[in-house]
Amino acid sequence: MTTVKPKKTVSWRKSVKGRRAIGIAITFALLVPLGIAFVLPFIVMVSTALKPLNQVFAFPPRLIPETLQWQNFPDGWYGYGYVDFTTCTWNSLKITLNNIIGNLVSCTLAAYAFARLKARGKNFFFAIVLATMLLPNEALVVPQYVLFSRFGWLDTHLPLMVPPWFGWPFFIFLLRQFFLTIPEELIDAAKIDGAGHARILMQIFIPLSKPALATLAIFAFIGNWNNFFGPLLYLRTPNVQTLPVCLVQYQGAYGNTEWHLMMAVATIAVIPVLLIFIFGQRYFVEGIATSGVKG
Amino acid sequence: MFRRLMRPISPSAKREERIFYLFILPWLIGLVLFNVGPVFGMLGLSFTDWRISLDNLQFVGLENYRTLFADPIFRISVGNTLYIVVGRVVFGTSFALLLAILLNQKVPGIPFFRAVYYLPTVTAGVAVALVWIWIFNPRLGILNYTLKQLGIQGPPWIFSKDWVKPSLILMSMFSVGPNMIILLAGLQGVPKELYESAEIDGAGNWAKFRNVTLPMLSPVLFFVIIISVVSSFQNFTEIRVMTEGGPGESSNVMIWYLWENAFIFLQLGVAAAVAWIMFVILMALTGIQFRLGRRWVYYEGEAR
Amino acid sequence: MSTKQLSRRNFLRLAAASSTGAVVGYLGPLSNIASAQDTVELTFGRHWEAAFRPRQAEYDEGFMERHPDIKISITYNTWADHNNVVPAWAAAGTLPDVIYVHGSRATPWAHEGIIIDIHDIVVADEEFNVDGMWEESVRLYRVNGRIHALPYDHGPIILGYNKDLFDAAGMDYPSEDWTMEDMAAAAIELTDPNAGIWGWDGRLDLGNGGGGFFTGAWGGTTMNADESAMTVDTPEIRAALNHWYNLTHVENAGASGTEMEAFPNSQPFRAGVAAMGHIATWSTPSMRALANFEWDVAPTPMGADGSRYTGAFGSGYGITPTSDKPDTAWTYLREYLSLEGMIFMWSLSGRGSPARPEGLEAWLTSDPAPPSGRYFLEAMFDYAVTGPPFQSLAAAQVSNILSREADLLRLGETSVDEAIATITEEGNAALDSVADM
Repeated sequence: MTTVKPKKTVSWRKSVKGRRAIGIAITFALLVPLGIAFVLPFIVMVSTALKPLNQVFAFPPRLIPETLQWQNFPDGWYGYGYVDFTTCTWNSLKITLNNIIGNLVSCTLAAYAFARLKARGKNFFFAIVLATMLLPNEALVVPQYVLFSRFGWLDTHLPLMVPPWFGWPFFIFLLRQFFLTIPEELIDAAKIDGAGHARILMQIFIPLSKPALATLAIFAFIGNWNNFFGPLLYLRTPNVQTLPVCLVQYQGAYGNTEWHLMMAVATIAVIPVLLIFIFGQRYFVEGIATSGVKG
Repeated sequence: MFRRLMRPISPSAKREERIFYLFILPWLIGLVLFNVGPVFGMLGLSFTDWRISLDNLQFVGLENYRTLFADPIFRISVGNTLYIVVGRVVFGTSFALLLAILLNQKVPGIPFFRAVYYLPTVTAGVAVALVWIWIFNPRLGILNYTLKQLGIQGPPWIFSKDWVKPSLILMSMFSVGPNMIILLAGLQGVPKELYESAEIDGAGNWAKFRNVTLPMLSPVLFFVIIISVVSSFQNFTEIRVMTEGGPGESSNVMIWYLWENAFIFLQLGVAAAVAWIMFVILMALTGIQFRLGRRWVYYEGEAR
Repeated sequence: MSTKQLSRRNFLRLAAASSTGAVVGYLGPLSNIASAQDTVELTFGRHWEAAFRPRQAEYDEGFMERHPDIKISITYNTWADHNNVVPAWAAAGTLPDVIYVHGSRATPWAHEGIIIDIHDIVVADEEFNVDGMWEESVRLYRVNGRIHALPYDHGPIILGYNKDLFDAAGMDYPSEDWTMEDMAAAAIELTDPNAGIWGWDGRLDLGNGGGGFFTGAWGGTTMNADESAMTVDTPEIRAALNHWYNLTHVENAGASGTEMEAFPNSQPFRAGVAAMGHIATWSTPSMRALANFEWDVAPTPMGADGSRYTGAFGSGYGITPTSDKPDTAWTYLREYLSLEGMIFMWSLSGRGSPARPEGLEAWLTSDPAPPSGRYFLEAMFDYAVTGPPFQSLAAAQVSNILSREADLLRLGETSVDEAIATITEEGNAALDSVADM
């Protein structure tokens, strides 16, 4: 820490309120204009969801539709009776929840091991965790599809729901980094109390890592909720399809895409993610404040 | 390495080691079940004339790799990839850090702003093309419209050889959400006591940032940088949806080159070779970062 | 939709409604309904968007009614991903019995064994009128002289125009005797930068889609007949490209690439800001859905010597090698791709451009067909040619090079001479690399 002369300290403290006001002003000045740009994608989506098809690309473009076509929402949802969004949503929800729990369990264990346990071969295996992140997925599409077809898992949710229980390198790495920030003294104290690693993990690491675990959960939610190519490839019959696959059923060739219906359902599909984000936020960004770390 | 492995260890250390392997066991099983086959399959296939069928494959040795190194377009794609990766990592990480710091302030309405900055990440996917046309289209886009109001003639963005790569870097700023959240979680994890004691020491904002925030955040920041490099190499949604490598070859990056060979030209053997070259480059970059990381990443208590 | 379910009676009524008498040949299999004991499942991989699925389901219900021993089950891919999913299916040996084949994939997929040689089955079936299909469409699926798939849809590309913009300018609509020069003159006159209106939508397709629209009028083709070499470095192609370049970048009468890209899936013509544009039969449904103006079509303008030429392209269906029931698959395809099947699926629905002239004739009465839609039929009979590349194994690479250079020309990032040199060099290199395959 830099030590500052007492005289200066006093004058700084005097103006602390003024400084705070300036700080808030600067924060807003930066956040508001950028924020407008960041809301645009969402607004475009909702705006398209409320237009008739022939207004979607009308020139000049309008952000606020002339007339609001609410009918797009039920029309999009019922998909000519041939796209069953209720089933798709249910499937997506089932897969997503399973995968969040699977990832939380498997990745927490592995991350704790990599962060805090001493073992021969640890660096080697951690290098493999990293290495498996580095191969581009696009190159593994075909071999992985062949593998799951050999397992007899095609047209079931197994290729999507089983692997998360076996950890995901990105999450293992993420949690490891967070676990490494937890003060060593806390573990030492627990060890003196006779706690084993399972208890240290459950009673110290998990409570202290709520923000990280919630972050992982959010990422797992969005990743699985939006996962497109995997389900498209592995699933064939309509009653096992997931939401993103159902959604692109409105895409057609030669400009025959029904953007208005697609965006209407996309808007509906985004709502749970947004709600979880808004209400879950306090758990992952404020969780730490209540858990009270003593450094 | 071997001498260290053979060194006798105490019973308690042995127990810890057993727990270590028990804890990583699920991951290990998954690795064997789901990854080993496809990954080594890909390595083997990169030495064959694989087009689609896995029957009657011809072993062609290093032919696919030779083809790649002889292809000027592949060399262009490597250059384009590095350009975009550097841009995305430098600007993307700084932007994520700036946002995370701003969104960590005690200012009214912060939960709302956090959601706002995360929105594009959530709406990604199907909406992406439509959205980018609205924003980045030279003629209709809101960006050039705004510039015009300011008296600036906006560039043609993705429709020009010179602007397409900067445009893609700029577009990637909109997917700052995940990195921002990770850094935000990292910032929240910095014990308040450290700031309090720094304040007692009379530290200003910059000193607090430099001496408290950065070291405490460094493991997370390190993660964000590593992941940004990897994902910048691998991400190609915008390229597939918007540019398809163009204009000319100016946004042809390695992952698009791979995709094109695999699914458009049906040269899966060549695509596998591209994947392995990408892997080697990323492995080297990640290795270097871990080396450099030892100098600046501060771990509270790492068990080495 | 007129028929709720394609029952046998409706099917006949529908067939009778079509303007030809080809229905006679169809009655054979109809009267021959099998008993319902052993049902075989026939699987499909195709990509219709949601809006067209009811039609498909209606057809399939009718088919299953006529063939109670066959059960249809469909995997729907998206248009954008069908071509990426099929190779994975093929590698794992999980292909369905019948797959949708875009014209550009016929040769590579036949070569890779994704679709089988159905030549003998097709030729042996006397009731299936393969000669009644438009030869330009069948040609696309003939690999080494043998049929590997059959077309359902194949359309020529002709001139479309925005009546409102012509009326506003007080100009006559494009006529049958228009030459490329007439079109260019009209485009220049119709262009109004202040109103943001172009005379022509600036499209330049050098690949199979619209290859011939410009180049053909000067008598040039981009490749030689057996697709072993590029033939762009000729006075004809140079003249055609210079004409296009002049119209777009000198006279500014065509939307440049940048401006054109501003209209995703929609193009300036469809958005109502270009008075004229390319139009193909398959893009008429989206014209109907998106265009907020009156429009019609005219023949592709002639070259200076009075010759006419344009490109055409389409899609079809093939049977896969993993199918253990190619005969059942053929039972379906022979009806689906018969005149009656095409009329039900594509003519009356207006969705596409049936690969049979009589089918296209029946399509003329559908909603999406423009008032002068018969010019499509005329193009089909008289002058439209399926554009290269589609026979070479390097067709995908060559298409890529052609569309990349067309793109650069449209964006004004390359010159005609440079583009011709690059296409020749890279195109020939790609063709040479597969010469011995």
